[in-house]
Amino acid sequence: MIELSHLTKVYGDIPVVNDVHMEIESGTITVIVGTSGSGKSTLLRMVNRLIEPTEGRVFIEGNDVSMMPAHELRRSIGYAIQNHGLFPHWTVARNIATVPMLLGWDRKKVAARVEELMELFQLDHAQFAGRYPHELSGGQQQRVGVARALAAKPALLLMDEPFGALDPIIRAKAQTDLKAIQRRTGTTILLVTHDMAEAVHLGDRIAVMDGGRLKQYAPAADILARPADAFVDDLIGSLDRPFHYLTLGTVGAAVEPGEADGAPLAADASLYEGLGALLWSGRKTAPVVDAAGAPIGRVSLDSIAGRAARPR
Amino acid sequence: MTTLSDAGTDGAAAPRVDRLGVVIAILVAVTLALPFATFRATRIASGTGLRLFDALPPMEAAAVTAVLIAALVTAVASRSPVFRLVLGALAIGALALGVGAAGTHLTPTDNPYARIAPASGFWVGVFATAMLVTDAMVRLKLGPVGRLVALVATAALIVALLASGAWSHLSLIAEYRNRADVFWREAINHVVLAAGSLAAAVAIGLPLGVLAYQVRAVRDPMINVLNIIQTIPSMALFGILIAPLGWIAANVPGAHAIGIRGIGTAPAFLALFLYSLLPMVANTVVGLTGVSRAVVDAARGMGFTDRQRLLQVEMPLALPVVLTGIRIVLVQNIGLATVAALIGGGGFGVFLFQGLGQTATDLILLGALPPVALAFAAAVVLDAVIEISGKGKA
Repeated sequence: MIELSHLTKVYGDIPVVNDVHMEIESGTITVIVGTSGSGKSTLLRMVNRLIEPTEGRVFIEGNDVSMMPAHELRRSIGYAIQNHGLFPHWTVARNIATVPMLLGWDRKKVAARVEELMELFQLDHAQFAGRYPHELSGGQQQRVGVARALAAKPALLLMDEPFGALDPIIRAKAQTDLKAIQRRTGTTILLVTHDMAEAVHLGDRIAVMDGGRLKQYAPAADILARPADAFVDDLIGSLDRPFHYLTLGTVGAAVEPGEADGAPLAADASLYEGLGALLWSGRKTAPVVDAAGAPIGRVSLDSIAGRAARPR
Repeated sequence: MTTLSDAGTDGAAAPRVDRLGVVIAILVAVTLALPFATFRATRIASGTGLRLFDALPPMEAAAVTAVLIAALVTAVASRSPVFRLVLGALAIGALALGVGAAGTHLTPTDNPYARIAPASGFWVGVFATAMLVTDAMVRLKLGPVGRLVALVATAALIVALLASGAWSHLSLIAEYRNRADVFWREAINHVVLAAGSLAAAVAIGLPLGVLAYQVRAVRDPMINVLNIIQTIPSMALFGILIAPLGWIAANVPGAHAIGIRGIGTAPAFLALFLYSLLPMVANTVVGLTGVSRAVVDAARGMGFTDRQRLLQVEMPLALPVVLTGIRIVLVQNIGLATVAALIGGGGFGVFLFQGLGQTATDLILLGALPPVALAFAAAVVLDAVIEISGKGKA
């Protein structure tokens, strides 16, 4: 568990982060969302001590982070940022090897880890290991940046707007990949973004910040259903809210008995995808199949629509 | 006549006239009109200018003229860089061999004091054809290694020309022959002065630059002080240094023994060193501040210590800019070291100022041409190194 205990950061007279208290469960993705100037990045950077808090402490698994040398702390925590910050004079392989090399792993172990990570992030080792960052596309650079952050198998990964520089299609894929990789590795992720859709898509829990204060900290569904105040309400956006809400549920949860015509939907697809498929094909119902392809019933527009309504 | 057919097809495709080519062609035409060599009865007597056909036997004169006209036509009519390069080089060769032959041809057998020197026509011709060659090399987009090879080849050709004795009747070489041992001693002085002060400036300036980068409060005062030093004229700086160095030599035990004097090498070295500090420090600061914020942030966030970050990330990325500083300093010092002769610092300036005192043009050239060639070579070498060091860092 990671505990941010009453963190405050004051620049001059202005509190950029004001008495924020959060507990983050290990193995989950927590997204800090807010507008620019809300203090979300400052909060994140206090975790690995890139910024020292004016008041308050950070505990990782019960250990006060201020008790160990900052560079050793940072080597134990993954760090990925917007515009990736790859070292332009190092090859892809050398970039990914950064933290293992700082930790003094032996060369064989480093090389094996680099190869493993490149495979995990779908970067062909033979093709890309020797390339320089400027020879990669934006999406590839971003993947190398995340691979580099995960190289020394950190238990905690901090990400500051990691997908901010990507175009929408590549961003959606990067988000899905990150989620899948997180489920496999069990890494605790603390991610900062200004994009509510990204927060809902990725976050097990969402922390909303405004003016240095933590406005609401709750599971995504709760934030959508019961925004704590007008600011959170505004950030979600009233028009998009039902659709955000549908991304949280799966088609499998809305299955009803019966049969339907046309192409089947997968049970693990989101309700948002299910709604889209129905609307676009002009159907009122569609058959649903499980992961093995066996029919398990049908889903209807009505049942999906019922799940997009504000919970009572 | 490939030239003409090339010109025909080029003209049809793009009727635009090559402006630089026209300038070069005009200069080559001027070359043919100006005196090619100067004859003087003694080393400081006033000379008589002689045009190509007066300075050379008819056959040789015709050959040089033909090559120059071919270069003139090429400059205007041909767009092929290779062709322009070859004809430019041929023209320089013809000028160099021609002026050497003029020396041999014009030297009277009965007057060992007579001097033959290249005249304005020769210099304009060399300038024009050198422009043709450099322009062609720029268009060929030679890589760093290619440029180094070209530099070595040029140096080899100059050495071969001087060693062959083709120029042995020219007054410049006569001046050299009279003081060959002094020439090489002063050459070494010159290089030691320029390179030594550069080494000192790197050893001191690089750490100062790093300090100015890391400690914001130091940066502006330091750059300002160095800026002020830079604005002091070199003569004045030599003068300013005489008093304190003289005092040190007289009062600090051992200082005199290691060569510290009010005049001589010590103030020259110190002045060159002081002039070198600003480019070194400023370029180090600019190079380091130019490293992307995201890269620095990532390095900190991943657990580099400050020292590791400086040595593994910031310095390597700042290197091309730092090397640019070194290039500025080296070229500047090779030039400035010439002035050091005024306070007894030695170097090629010795010949230059002797020549000025005696109004002996050839002696002035003996002092002036080697530093120019050295500075040019240093610039080419360091540019190549900078380009190679910047690879893979777009």
